[in-house]
Amino acid sequence: MRRIKLFRTSSFRLALLYAGLFTASVLVLFGVTYWFATNYAAQDESNEIAVEFASIQDEARSSGQDRLAAIIDSHLRLRKDVRAVYLLQDAAGRKIVGNIDAMTPIMGATTLDRFLDGETRQIRAQGYRLDNGDYLLVGQDTSTLKEMKALIVRAFGFGLMVTLVLAVIGSAIISTTVLKRLDAVSRTARAIVQGDFSHRVPTRGTDDEFDELAASMNAMLDRIEDLMRSMRQVSNDIAHDLRTPLSRLRQRLERARSRAHTVEELQEALGHSIAQVDSILETFGALLRIAQIEAGGKAAGTAMVDVSKLLAGIVEDFAPAAEDHGQRLVADVEPGLSIPADPELLTQMIVNLIDNAIRHSPQGARISAQAKSVAGTLELAVSDTGPGIPPQEWENVLRPFYRLEASRTTEGSGLGLSLVAAIAKRHRAKLILGDNAPGLRVSVLFPLAA
Amino acid sequence: MRILVVEDDAETSAYLAAGLEEEGHLVSCSRTGRDGLFLAMTENFDLLVVDRMLPELDGLTLVKTLRAGRIDTPVLFLTTMSGIDDRVTGLNAGGDDYLVKPFAFSELVARVKALSRRPRGTAVETRFKVADLELDLLKRVVKRGGSEIALQPREFRLLEYLMRHAGQVVTRTMLLDNVWNYHFDPRTNVVESHLSRLRTKIDKGFTPELIHTVRGAGYCLRAPD
Repeated sequence: MRRIKLFRTSSFRLALLYAGLFTASVLVLFGVTYWFATNYAAQDESNEIAVEFASIQDEARSSGQDRLAAIIDSHLRLRKDVRAVYLLQDAAGRKIVGNIDAMTPIMGATTLDRFLDGETRQIRAQGYRLDNGDYLLVGQDTSTLKEMKALIVRAFGFGLMVTLVLAVIGSAIISTTVLKRLDAVSRTARAIVQGDFSHRVPTRGTDDEFDELAASMNAMLDRIEDLMRSMRQVSNDIAHDLRTPLSRLRQRLERARSRAHTVEELQEALGHSIAQVDSILETFGALLRIAQIEAGGKAAGTAMVDVSKLLAGIVEDFAPAAEDHGQRLVADVEPGLSIPADPELLTQMIVNLIDNAIRHSPQGARISAQAKSVAGTLELAVSDTGPGIPPQEWENVLRPFYRLEASRTTEGSGLGLSLVAAIAKRHRAKLILGDNAPGLRVSVLFPLAA
Repeated sequence: MRILVVEDDAETSAYLAAGLEEEGHLVSCSRTGRDGLFLAMTENFDLLVVDRMLPELDGLTLVKTLRAGRIDTPVLFLTTMSGIDDRVTGLNAGGDDYLVKPFAFSELVARVKALSRRPRGTAVETRFKVADLELDLLKRVVKRGGSEIALQPREFRLLEYLMRHAGQVVTRTMLLDNVWNYHFDPRTNVVESHLSRLRTKIDKGFTPELIHTVRGAGYCLRAPD
């Protein structure tokens, strides 16, 4: 199984390709070397023969033609090792001196097979007719050239074998390493498919591309796990928070059926029931909206929105209502602040924050809505002088349906701040809860467009 | 009024038809987008109530097709989607108003009435008068019994909307939609507090009272009969 898989991996195929390329280049190198080397050697050989002939003639000229046989004899002994071949015969074809038998004279360059040193050898030679009618053949055994050729072939053959073995071993090593790391990734994927969401791709800390892949996969898995958890949380919350009002509604309807005797009583019960259904539907609507905002892929913000103007306008709209509650709502707005945003969502965010402040603050409270630019960000804040939220609860109140014990009895779905959080996230803004001493200060930090 | 209801859900369709007939309208119903388009193009209606999600031809395409054929019967969209962009796409397609299901029937009735009164012509009204209350859009002046009343900008827009729909019931949501441009329901009683201030300014010390609260429905600005 494992071996078959190894051969099918792309890294193995790549290694194979490399091995092929290496082999080809070794072969080309071999061809070129072989050709040049043998050519050069052959050339060298014929040069050597010419030089040898010239030197014999030189010696003969200086010491007399009759000494030719002796000279050749001494050359024969001197150049035994290089397997030189000499033959001197007279015009009648009788051998005078030499290490091969007399033969029919051949002029010029030739190649012959002659019995020499106990075996038949190939000889490259040059034949000359001397002035006195004698025939002189000077040659050389070609076995050196042959041996050199064989040596080159052997050397390259060995080199090629080593190359191939190394390529195969190297590719096997690379393949198994890559395979091992990929296996880790697919093992993680399989574990997650089987439902174990805590699995993560192991990293080696080598900072290579595999670690990078593992890191981005893990980040993706973290995000998915996060979403799954919040989804599970929300569906649990829905089940719980909608069951309560629905069962209350059911009780009320049942009681009306058994107890109400007059049309007025029935109508009153129906009126209450409709109000209850409306509030349930409202909760549904808010949930849907949060889901839609969160699901919206791209960050919002196609148009530049003048936050200063928007905030001032909303404060103007809400000031009379706050006054009716015995509170004071004031705007503290730096003029001309704009950010890319979805105007409708931004409006809803501000309204929700002001809504919250008005509803959770007692009479006489002062509510302030601020907008100012702070170090490259736009800070939009709503603060009140109400009872505030204890710091350990700051995180919790952003969760859907979460409500402080103190506000359980007030009307509301517990989704207002979740919606604000969703809108902030959509705008890549940071939502921060803080102490207004006394009271709560909710601020949203938007990145200012560069 | 002749009203065409294009809605695929039989129960909702029957509920709408019965309710609107009770209000004195003449109602035709069709179940699919294609039937609805055919009826709307061949017969003369005063208003179309169109569901966004319809079989065969969706509501948006239906209205776009109608508008392309130069039929400008007012259209009220109904939808279960309360998406962020749905309202805008609906209005861009040629819808005149937009109502998210589920809704109170009184809300639908008020909106139907408001749409039926929508002037089809190009004449833009700039002066309104109800009893001795006058509003001049160009001069931005409000007078009651001849004496000028100073209003905040938002109060002015509120009064303008009420006077445009004088004699009709306008709901809280209609006011939020059109006067405040809030397409969601703030928990704080923004409408009530502004309305009570407006009331103090234009009704206090004058008779008869012009702004009336219609219980369970909304508000109405009207002269006494």
